[in-house]
Amino acid sequence: MKRLLGLLAILAMLVAACSSGDSDDGPAATAEDPATIQMWIAFTDDARLGFAEDRAAEFNTNHPEYTVEVTAFDSYNTVFEQAQLAIDEGNPPEIIHFFEAATQEALDAVDADGNPIFKSVTEALDGRTEVLGEPVVLDDVVSAATKYYTIDDQLYSMPWNTSSTTMFSNMGILEAAGISEPPATWAEVEAACEAIMALPDAPSEGCITWPNHGWFYEQSLGQMGADLVNNGNGRDARATEIFLDSPEALSYMQWWSDLEQSGHYVYTGTQRDWDGSSAAFQAQNVAMLIFSSSDTTALTQAGVDNGFDVRSSYMPYNQDMSYEGNLIGGATLWMSNGLNTAEEDGALGFLNYFSNPDNAASWHQLTGYIPITNAAVSQLEGAGWYDESPNSAVASNQLDDAADTPASTGAFVGNFVAIRDVVTAAAEDILVNDVDVKERMGSAQTEAQQLLDDYNELYGE
Amino acid sequence: MGIILSLLIAAVVGGVSFGYRTRRHAAFGAGLGLLGGSVILAAMGFCMFDAEAESTEAVLGVTLAAAFAWMFGAGSRAVLDQSGDGKAGGGFGDSEIRTGAYRLGWWWPWLLLSPTLIILVFFLYWPAIQTFRLSTKLTRLGAPRQAERCLGNFSELLVPNPFLVAALPLAAIGVMWGIGLWHRRANPDTWSFGVARTLRPFGIVFLLLALYFIFENENGGYRQIYLNTLIISVGTVALSMIFGLGLAYLSYQHIRGITVYRTLLIWPYAISPPIAGILFFMMFNATGGVVAAVASRWGIDLPDYTQNASLARFTIILASVWKLLGYNLLFFLAGLQTVPRDQIEAAALDGANAWQRFRRIVLPALGPIGFFLLITNLTYSFFDVYGTIDFLTKGAPAGATSVAIYELIRVGVDNGDLGRGAAQSVVLFLAVIGLTAWQFKQSEGRINYGGA
Repeated sequence: MKRLLGLLAILAMLVAACSSGDSDDGPAATAEDPATIQMWIAFTDDARLGFAEDRAAEFNTNHPEYTVEVTAFDSYNTVFEQAQLAIDEGNPPEIIHFFEAATQEALDAVDADGNPIFKSVTEALDGRTEVLGEPVVLDDVVSAATKYYTIDDQLYSMPWNTSSTTMFSNMGILEAAGISEPPATWAEVEAACEAIMALPDAPSEGCITWPNHGWFYEQSLGQMGADLVNNGNGRDARATEIFLDSPEALSYMQWWSDLEQSGHYVYTGTQRDWDGSSAAFQAQNVAMLIFSSSDTTALTQAGVDNGFDVRSSYMPYNQDMSYEGNLIGGATLWMSNGLNTAEEDGALGFLNYFSNPDNAASWHQLTGYIPITNAAVSQLEGAGWYDESPNSAVASNQLDDAADTPASTGAFVGNFVAIRDVVTAAAEDILVNDVDVKERMGSAQTEAQQLLDDYNELYGE
Repeated sequence: MGIILSLLIAAVVGGVSFGYRTRRHAAFGAGLGLLGGSVILAAMGFCMFDAEAESTEAVLGVTLAAAFAWMFGAGSRAVLDQSGDGKAGGGFGDSEIRTGAYRLGWWWPWLLLSPTLIILVFFLYWPAIQTFRLSTKLTRLGAPRQAERCLGNFSELLVPNPFLVAALPLAAIGVMWGIGLWHRRANPDTWSFGVARTLRPFGIVFLLLALYFIFENENGGYRQIYLNTLIISVGTVALSMIFGLGLAYLSYQHIRGITVYRTLLIWPYAISPPIAGILFFMMFNATGGVVAAVASRWGIDLPDYTQNASLARFTIILASVWKLLGYNLLFFLAGLQTVPRDQIEAAALDGANAWQRFRRIVLPALGPIGFFLLITNLTYSFFDVYGTIDFLTKGAPAGATSVAIYELIRVGVDNGDLGRGAAQSVVLFLAVIGLTAWQFKQSEGRINYGGA
């Protein structure tokens, strides 16, 4: 019994050691100490978090009067939630990383006194061309991002990681099936898959995959020129109606379902499974992957490492509908409201340094997110980067080719995260349980409309 | 109309729960019930009987009034029994006790208790009350205002048919009560007593069945969540207890190196639930899993567990059982050491075989430990299973492994819908309270804690 108790004690210590997470948010900036600029971001991987930390370190060396501290959180939602709690305690981080789908919510959110929790970056810059000696790059942001994030003729936040959906093809498999160019339309995808799956050594899992994430559904709606919500896709006025079961949406879901039924589309089994679908492509278990361009560099390199040629191309579209083009995804950096001048200048100076041409270009090369300013694009062109790495140009080109319509710009809508959940749950039901597309999207529509109504009841005028 | 009905019911429930031995008792109980019912309804502003409220909300309102009436009635009865009627006795008020502590004044024990009480109030009761309050609202972090939802967050979990919502649980409770009555009234020597005794533990099945039918079944409805929770918790608890006991019994034998075996068997307990999820993901993943790779070498094409509801649930159960096994083993081992050796030896001398000794002596002696494990395992499978699910299936396929705790975190935290999340956590809270109370009642008199 004694020995057992000893064992128990050791186990208890082990458990305690394993579960003591680091909840240290670092020293906080106060009025007496304006030098600290807290930046909360949603990347925890070495590459992307490391990039932010390196830029912060450089900035701190150049501006000894400031200390930029980067804190990483595991998701956009966690950052936002933690930031709101910090704001309620009157001790907010200066810079907060937040994703595109929650732009409406970031704009709407208020603190306990009813003041907006974020301040418009355009307004704070107030026409200056440099802050702390750092040239302002906000007015040089590429049109795809400007178009998406502009509200009331201004950018409220500083765009950072911006991507689009692109397709990656294993050219070795495609060429073996007699296909020389990646398929561009849905019909071409079907034809290519027929040929690929007829190969004697067809990929083991299937022909094509992409994560079950609401973003791909929204991209397809954008391509077909279908708005997700009313009032100019939520850009002329607050969205009040949602259209999850529009004919365009149904055509996409039906195509997806048919592709799955024929055994060509591979569903990894879980929602938002970025890692699983990427792994299937990298292991050559599927021939094509529709993914975020944010991983262009890594996926191309994976091909080199495993001995196959990866070609990036535009996201396939429905040849039977009009084509308006794709929209962005990603996140921007928001600045807290209620900072004093010194803190605000520190934050603005860092934001503009963070995306200066050199940094924006190396961020693009590191990941595959598009170069966020025109200056960075020209710099990369001048250095011959796109000739050397043609895959890297695809996302920027696809976005530049898109029409300037509300549908291909993307929707602003409240409760977007929950609405995306409704879409992915319906898609999963359709893919796994083979339920009727029209009926299932109809009930998803009812559910999502309820979520939007709830949101507007709390935030609407 | 609804208010009068619910207060009438509250009065009856109050009277019954307080005890109706005399007319005065009954009247007092009814008064207490009336008070309890009206306190809670008035606190909520009688909103569930408003014209725009759903009719299922009214049914829930009546239930709420009855529940508070019962709490007031039964609570007062318990207090009275403690302090006066001389039934139980032995509390602080017992006049025979004149120990040192009481000479310092009545406040002394309270002072000593205060650190615990303060912690309980601030970290347990206050958040619990806040959760109940939130569950009646529509609210989000950072929203400029809140909206009142009354019992709407609860009624939308149920089928929109007030008669079904009212009748099914009542019928189930009636059946349970009927079986209990039959059991008490039947002559112990007749076959009918045997039937009643066998049926008694199954009374809860009727209630579980009734609940299944009153939860909303439309897409995204709560019925599937309820079913998942039921399957995964029952599976986890049953398998982990059976295997835990079996392994403990085996590793209690005297074999060379048994301490090494025991240590190895207890290992999984030190691993956190998400890690269990990752481990099983690594093993069973269809793309790069170890099991799939080995199976395919032998020419077996394993089905993908994320595509099949039963397989996915079984994988979650397997991971949870594996995780709980070490814990159960530890307690069963400790329990086995308390089994009186002389009794076993005596039984062996009397010719009882190994199974009979296990069934008649070891098992009853393990009763208290088993009951403790039942409660902790149930708590694990209701709450801690989240990490395993999040890493293993994320609720897939099509929500077949989304249990109550997973769904409430998805709704309340990931989607930021605090009101609905709070309502679901109240449902889970009631389920755990209810099941624990039922287990206590079931085990009454059956578990022998030994000693005097």
